[in-house]
Amino acid sequence: MAFLRSLLPYFTFAAGYLVVAMLVENSYYQLIITLVLVWASFGLSWNMLSGYTGLISFGHASFFGLGAFATVLAQIHLGWSPWIMLPVSALIGALAGVLIGLPTFRLRGHYFALSMLAYPLAMSYVFQWLGKPEITIPRVLDHPALFLQFEDRRVYSVLALLLLTVIVVITRWIERTRFGMSLVAIKQNEAAAEAAGVDTLRWKLKAIAVSGAIAGAVGSFYAVVILVITPSSVFGMLVSAQALTVAMFGGVGTVWGPIIGATVLIPIAETLHAVIGSYLPGIQGVIYGLAIIILIIAAPEGVFWKGVDLIRRRRVPAAGTVPSGAGGVSRAASVEPAGGASPASRISDRIMLDVRGVSKRFGGLRAVRNVSFQVRKGEILGIIGPNGAGKTTLFNLLNGFQKPDQGQVLLHGSDLAGCRPHFACRAGIGRTFQVMRPFKRWSVANNVKVGAYVRAASEEEARAIAREAVAQVGLSAISDRPASALTTKQLRLLELARAIAGRPEILLLDETLAGLGSEEAKEVVAVIRTLAATGLTILIIEHTMQAMVQLVDRFIVLDHGQLLTEGLPEAIVKDPRVIEAYLGAKWAAHA
Amino acid sequence: MTRLRTLTFAALAASVVAATGAAPASAQTTTGPGQIGPLQIGLIAPLSGIYARPGQVMKMGAELGIEDVNAAGGIKCLGGAPLKLVTIDSGDSVEKATNAAQRMVAEYPELVGGTGSYLSSFTLAVTEVTERANLPLLTLSYSDLITERGFKTVFQTSATAGAQASIALPIIMDLAESETGRRPKTVAIITDNTAASLSSVKRMKDGLLQRLGLEIVMEETFTPPLADASSLVQRVRTSRPDLLLFLPTVISDANLILQKLREFRVSVPTISFGIAIAEPEVLNVMDARLVEGVMSAVANWGVKGQEALIKRLKDRYGEPWMTQNAISTYGDMWLFKTALEKSCSRDRQKLAEALRTLDGGPSQYYPGGTIRFDDKGRRIGASLTIIQWRDGVPVTIFPTDLAVAKPVWPKP
Repeated sequence: MAFLRSLLPYFTFAAGYLVVAMLVENSYYQLIITLVLVWASFGLSWNMLSGYTGLISFGHASFFGLGAFATVLAQIHLGWSPWIMLPVSALIGALAGVLIGLPTFRLRGHYFALSMLAYPLAMSYVFQWLGKPEITIPRVLDHPALFLQFEDRRVYSVLALLLLTVIVVITRWIERTRFGMSLVAIKQNEAAAEAAGVDTLRWKLKAIAVSGAIAGAVGSFYAVVILVITPSSVFGMLVSAQALTVAMFGGVGTVWGPIIGATVLIPIAETLHAVIGSYLPGIQGVIYGLAIIILIIAAPEGVFWKGVDLIRRRRVPAAGTVPSGAGGVSRAASVEPAGGASPASRISDRIMLDVRGVSKRFGGLRAVRNVSFQVRKGEILGIIGPNGAGKTTLFNLLNGFQKPDQGQVLLHGSDLAGCRPHFACRAGIGRTFQVMRPFKRWSVANNVKVGAYVRAASEEEARAIAREAVAQVGLSAISDRPASALTTKQLRLLELARAIAGRPEILLLDETLAGLGSEEAKEVVAVIRTLAATGLTILIIEHTMQAMVQLVDRFIVLDHGQLLTEGLPEAIVKDPRVIEAYLGAKWAAHA
Repeated sequence: MTRLRTLTFAALAASVVAATGAAPASAQTTTGPGQIGPLQIGLIAPLSGIYARPGQVMKMGAELGIEDVNAAGGIKCLGGAPLKLVTIDSGDSVEKATNAAQRMVAEYPELVGGTGSYLSSFTLAVTEVTERANLPLLTLSYSDLITERGFKTVFQTSATAGAQASIALPIIMDLAESETGRRPKTVAIITDNTAASLSSVKRMKDGLLQRLGLEIVMEETFTPPLADASSLVQRVRTSRPDLLLFLPTVISDANLILQKLREFRVSVPTISFGIAIAEPEVLNVMDARLVEGVMSAVANWGVKGQEALIKRLKDRYGEPWMTQNAISTYGDMWLFKTALEKSCSRDRQKLAEALRTLDGGPSQYYPGGTIRFDDKGRRIGASLTIIQWRDGVPVTIFPTDLAVAKPVWPKP
């Protein structure tokens, strides 16, 4: 129900657009009305991959062109109607997406964007080489409607609107489910997403398949509308650019972006061409380019997000009355006595994690050397050591970001060494990061929900788990607040909540207290203690010794990648070797 | 009026929801039957983008043609009604050309006919629209595909690309033999990937070259616009052909390659197809001596007997010579006059019917054949002209009866 309600603005827009389309009889305006919808749909295809995952594609013309060529060639050579080819083109697009995605997702950032650029260029040459410099859809005079050919151009607008509606519904549905959440999680921090149990490669492949399918269908429809296609008109750089332009102008990562972009830009470009172009041919391109530059400078994230920000800013005074974060945590802090239960009752004898002789070498640097230790269920284990001692690398080996050269990581007796992070997460290892990267526009609740998917079968369940996790860290009062409005402490707690939403058995915390004042650190420590009280096993890397000594049950000390020593906090702080490693030999003598 | 409504539309589409039935009414001027209002002829050609220059020359030809038709008394059968030119920019892409064609038929319901659109891809797109609107369209584009779709209102005044290669190459071979005493044996081909060029090359490779005893020693296809021609020219140099066939469409590509050929001192007799190597712009970047002797097979060119017209073009627009785009479009206006006298109507469908059944006698403004079209809409007997750079001007050297100079085989 809520899903349908969220589509209400779109259906209002579609109804209005339909009314306009029906009233316009002029065939030229009708064509532009159709093309606005076509380019909006194509923009949504781009948005599906690049808008949500943040992997910018300069090559969406690949799928578009394949759909277009398939449709025209099928009618010429096989006599197949575009009605059949519309879904077939979607299949072709999806297949092409997977084939292109498999090798290309090995790349990131600019490298991904640039290699995507190569595919349509290559395909353009293939079709040239096949002797298809230009092809046209044969005109059908008997039963033209069976071949998607209509006298009345309004039919094309209606069909285009239907196509757009289907795409919008799919997009909105994906946006609201774990599919979309996973994609956005990849965008904010691919490593964190993996650690939160998201199988990033699988979701990215799904995204490019859906995106390719949409682009294929849109390309197919485009060929029917324009009737003549050439390799450069469907595989050309300008086609890929069109998708980027409408999406970036309107707003990336929202269903509204491409719709706003196409509705504004396509008629403006065409009007400039028709009006000014006849006086000073070519000037239309200059004006159009300048207009886009000015707009991108004014609203770098697109018109839609600019609007959202403006509205939010107006509402800020009202939001100021919401209790501040400090109040939120007090509840958790008040549970402290429970967390303070004696370690002996908390820690069981069962060995949870058994690390046996793991080593990792980066070229000549032996980052971790033959480290072995055991962690019992319910224990809080502190890992300390000077900078460069190999602490974070050790974490990476434990949850699968890096594969150990030697050694085993046994969780409940089974070896996890070398498993991908999302697998480690499923197996029960959760993790937070030194550098926090929450999705800023999302609420606290939604940020946490991403972490819950690994354990939840349904949206409902994910929401319930997330709610529980938010309560556990004491952020319930501000669970609707966007992450961009949180303090550092609240962000740390948010990260904790996301990690525990995956219901881990072991939680790896990487410098969770970094950047916090001593009072704030105490509050976070209190929360961690309550988590431990629930039976969670915790490994924590930290520099703030004061907080650590109060928190942990036992320390292990790393230096130069080797296990220096391990023991109870009281013993460790007095151990000359530890002091020497941290402070130098001079101070060790005073110990 | 048109401008106002187009602007209204932009506002309208930008705020679609605010629709209040502001649908634009169709444009109607108040010319009734029997009145001597002008007859509108459309020129839909690229006036912006990389193909703008040929489009502008087409416009010059059309303006001169309309002027002359009107000066000769307009359409006598319709009470001396004059012709009036409507210019529409087809832009530089297939989508823009489609939009422009749709705009043309929607905004100018009184058009009786049109001519366009230079590049065959654009012509294909434009005629998909004009055919459905029953608007007769004359075109100088070569692509065979244009008149292979069974359309009833498209008329191709040039020889098709496929036909041009088979007309031109034997003539060139004979010329080489008579001037040098031996027939060329090997050939290199440099072509861009526009449809007209590719269909010429296809025809050559489908047996034509073999029949002429020519072996391809090097072949290269490029996408316009070209950034650097060094490697192309280097390959010509190393393959040492007797003949270089060169098929550019964009002027800057032609210039670049000709320049590089001279820079690398490649002195292979060069035969081009199309007018890109014979545009006045060539002289902006090259010394006339460097292109001396280069030949090109073109669909149409200013010929013997058109001296007065060529002079007017030069005086009015500063064009130093009459290219295919000017003369063919000029001729199109006379062709429309002839057909309109026959149909004696403002109805476009009757004009199309008149064009289909016309027998206008020997062709005056297009080389070879007659003013008659076959079932497909191709001009019967359409031939071509071969031109050669001579003393800084590309002049017609074939057909012999229209030639203004005798051919000279370029000395390597």
